[in-house]
Amino acid sequence: MTRYLVRRVGQAVIVLLLVTIIVFGLLHLLPGGPARAILGTMATPTSIKAFNQANGLNHPIPVQYWDWLTKALRGNLGYSYQQNQSVASLLTQRVPKTAFLAGVSVLIALLIAVPVGLYQAVRRSRFDDYLLTVANFGLYSTPAFWLALVLVDLFAVRMHVFPAEAPQGSNFSAIFSDPKGLVLPVATIALVSIAAFSRYVRSSVLDQLSQDYVRMARSKGAGRRYVLTAHVLRNALSPVVTLLGLSLPFILSGTLITEQVFNYPGVGLLFFTACTVQDYPVLLGVILVVGTATVLGSLLADIGYAVLDPRVRYVRAEAAPA
Amino acid sequence: MTSVGEVAATLTPAAGATQRRARLVLDTFLANRAAVAGLVLIVALTLFCFIGPLLYHTNQVTTRLGLEHLAPGSGRPLGTDEVGYDQLGRLMVGGQTSLEVAFGAAAVAVLFGAAWGATAGYFGGLVDGLMMRIVDAMLAIPALFLLLILATIFRPNVGMLILVVGLVAWLVPARLVRGESLSLRTREYVLAAKTMGVRAPTIIRRHIITNCIGTILVNATFQVADAVLLVAALSYLGLGIPPPAANWGSMLSNGLDFSYSGYWWMIYPPGLAIVVTVVAFNLVGDGLRDAFGLARRR
Amino acid sequence: MTTPPGDPGPAAATAPALEVDGLSVDIELRRSTVHAVDGVSLQVHAGESVGVVGESGCGKSTLGLAVAGLLPENTQTTGAVRAGGQPMTGVPDRELRALRGTKVGIVFQDPMTSLNPTKRIGVQVGETLRLQRGVGKAAAREAAAEMLDLVGLPRPRDQLDRYPHELSGGMRQRVVIASALICEPAVLVADEPTTALDVTTQSQILELFDDLRQRLGMALLLITHDMGVVAGHTDRVLVMYGGQEVEMGPTPDLFTAPRHRYTEALLASILHLETARGQALYAISGRPPDLTARFAECRFAARCHEAQADCRAGQPTLTGPDGHEYRCLHPADGTTRVPLTAAPRTAAAGGTP
Repeated sequence: MTRYLVRRVGQAVIVLLLVTIIVFGLLHLLPGGPARAILGTMATPTSIKAFNQANGLNHPIPVQYWDWLTKALRGNLGYSYQQNQSVASLLTQRVPKTAFLAGVSVLIALLIAVPVGLYQAVRRSRFDDYLLTVANFGLYSTPAFWLALVLVDLFAVRMHVFPAEAPQGSNFSAIFSDPKGLVLPVATIALVSIAAFSRYVRSSVLDQLSQDYVRMARSKGAGRRYVLTAHVLRNALSPVVTLLGLSLPFILSGTLITEQVFNYPGVGLLFFTACTVQDYPVLLGVILVVGTATVLGSLLADIGYAVLDPRVRYVRAEAAPA
Repeated sequence: MTSVGEVAATLTPAAGATQRRARLVLDTFLANRAAVAGLVLIVALTLFCFIGPLLYHTNQVTTRLGLEHLAPGSGRPLGTDEVGYDQLGRLMVGGQTSLEVAFGAAAVAVLFGAAWGATAGYFGGLVDGLMMRIVDAMLAIPALFLLLILATIFRPNVGMLILVVGLVAWLVPARLVRGESLSLRTREYVLAAKTMGVRAPTIIRRHIITNCIGTILVNATFQVADAVLLVAALSYLGLGIPPPAANWGSMLSNGLDFSYSGYWWMIYPPGLAIVVTVVAFNLVGDGLRDAFGLARRR
Repeated sequence: MTTPPGDPGPAAATAPALEVDGLSVDIELRRSTVHAVDGVSLQVHAGESVGVVGESGCGKSTLGLAVAGLLPENTQTTGAVRAGGQPMTGVPDRELRALRGTKVGIVFQDPMTSLNPTKRIGVQVGETLRLQRGVGKAAAREAAAEMLDLVGLPRPRDQLDRYPHELSGGMRQRVVIASALICEPAVLVADEPTTALDVTTQSQILELFDDLRQRLGMALLLITHDMGVVAGHTDRVLVMYGGQEVEMGPTPDLFTAPRHRYTEALLASILHLETARGQALYAISGRPPDLTARFAECRFAARCHEAQADCRAGQPTLTGPDGHEYRCLHPADGTTRVPLTAAPRTAAAGGTP
């Protein structure tokens, strides 16, 4: 267990470092380099030169990277001249809102997807399983942005049940000012996640049901319900923890789209707006934070899985997955 | 070098066996009704987008004031959009761009990803560790975020868009191929080629990549589906190919602006076109994966 | 009906622990029906061991599942199975459940997969007691420790809280056997119990069966594809082919004087100490029959070297003297071509020394 943990954490640290290098690389990939990125498209050659001088951008690249990294580690992610705020303060406003939106949606998705997947596995190859599989497949292939549009068209435009705009306001509690406004954004992310999750749960449970230990349990006089709850469930659901970790990038992408459609003031909308005005300090700050969150998320998921499955605790120590 | 390579090639499974296997894969695939339905859908969609405009003539060049936002009716089965283009005709033309970019991006992603993964898997050890950590790091940045920032840096035209989407999408095939080549590199014919002094790039091309062909093909199919979605998302967010070129994503984006006006024909046809395309490629991908006997995983 | 009256053996006076009477099992698939078991009859007395031998797909595993009351839902059975005096077929699942583990225990091929990887060994061994007898946790744990001791697990008490993957394959199979026997069922079905194990462990497990049979007085149905496994560890052997019994008799008779040509071929295909270096092992050519079909001829005729016109004219019936019956029109005459040994294949796994 300890060896597995050390190895896994070591990997995460390397990946995090590479994420920072990628972000730093993107900064230098920009036409005109970091100065243009920070000063904006209106910068003149003279002002760029002055900026480079003042900010040590004429130093060798590794030195610049080191300066940038130590600043970032201290929470200094740069300044958005377009929003007239530091990137860090923008993020502290926005991150909790996105975390809330994603968290609630994923929770709801799990609460629906796990029973659905379980039910499908138990009813395998029957008509209802077939029907749910087809529905699932359709949903799985539906882009979040179109789903959001359809939900708006149906529930906001035609039925007037839920508003098409999320609650506004810069502080966190503003989210709750109009709970009805949260329904459609949450539904969008939850629906696309349900498709992916229940597909996974179904095949995971089926995989376990075909194992010999299930037949063995039945040979001991266990009923179907007991076999499912006492034996299969834990083995089938512990990998879902890993799935959650792995789905984080997918969920965050969905969040970006949803925030844009519903004008939900989270990280995704911040990022999208920054794209349209080429506000590079914000873009890079968001990428750094989102990348870090994903790496930490999948690390946590792997640790959680190791706690849940005794085999990993012992075996994977030697052969950790790359 | 060629002669040594040829000798090594004779050590790979015989050509007859390969042919038999291909036959078996094809038979299994064709026995899968859902997969065949997917294939039929793909053919139908391609005909619709590329042959359709030859049969159904519409004006997709000059805007026509006075004809905007017309509901479906005779002569315009799907109505008109915000500048008076016929929606059905636009769906065909827009589909051409969507499919071209998706195929292009999938090809870039799979070719680059497979080469990367095979190299990492073949060398193993430190090289593999470093190459795969780079993949991990890029995967940590959600695809849409990476795509948006790349699209912001490189203002896309069609060629650039293919490259940018490919640059985001190559990570998954890289991982899959790497996993397979890790086991392939210990096979006798690879070891034999190595002992004979065949150079690494040749072994990777001739023995590793060719033997991962099932994985690569299956993933390529899924890549097209994913690329359709990514391109549409990008255009939907207004960062795809600039107008007047149309694709399904940008058509939806226009629909969003008028979502309150109840112009359903601007929202549903392009959205359904995307869903049908993605479903079709996913069905074929699932069918291929089962036919190749690969593990159920994406 | 096919079992001759006056069955020999020490326990002949009491009712048999396991009675299979004219059992047929059909498995319904989407487009076809597999007649997996076709009219098999068999009796096993307490303390007795009967081997069931055949190639994969001959119906021997389905027979084992039927005996254990574990046939899947898509099966139709006719005939009867009685274990410990209780009917195991034609009974609703709810009633069958009470008989599983108490009348019949079963051990599967792979001890790696027949134990739940995330449950502690003590819990898994004591599970049947908890389920069937409503025994409390502590008492079940105690009983599990005793049972683990009985199956020869060293330091049984230390093993209770370990997970399956912490044990070797042989030890795991002992744990599986312990969990199948904890309610002292009248019958133990062992379906290829040694196939997944290495050769030394194989013979240890087989000896454990002999030992447990004597101590607990259970009847053992030992299902295997390996003639070497039944050789030293069974009283009688049932040879199955194409879902049917083709031969059954006392183990020594069957090995010294096989009557059915299939049994003869099976014996010729095992490795003996006398097998000369470089001598090719006999392999039965062709494939086992397709059990979705109905047969109008001897099922083995297509692969039989001795097959004649009458073999293809109709299905042979079971004949033979008491205690040794066979389904063959032109049986081997007893002067077998096969060298007579009862050595398990453990002796010569890598060829003759």
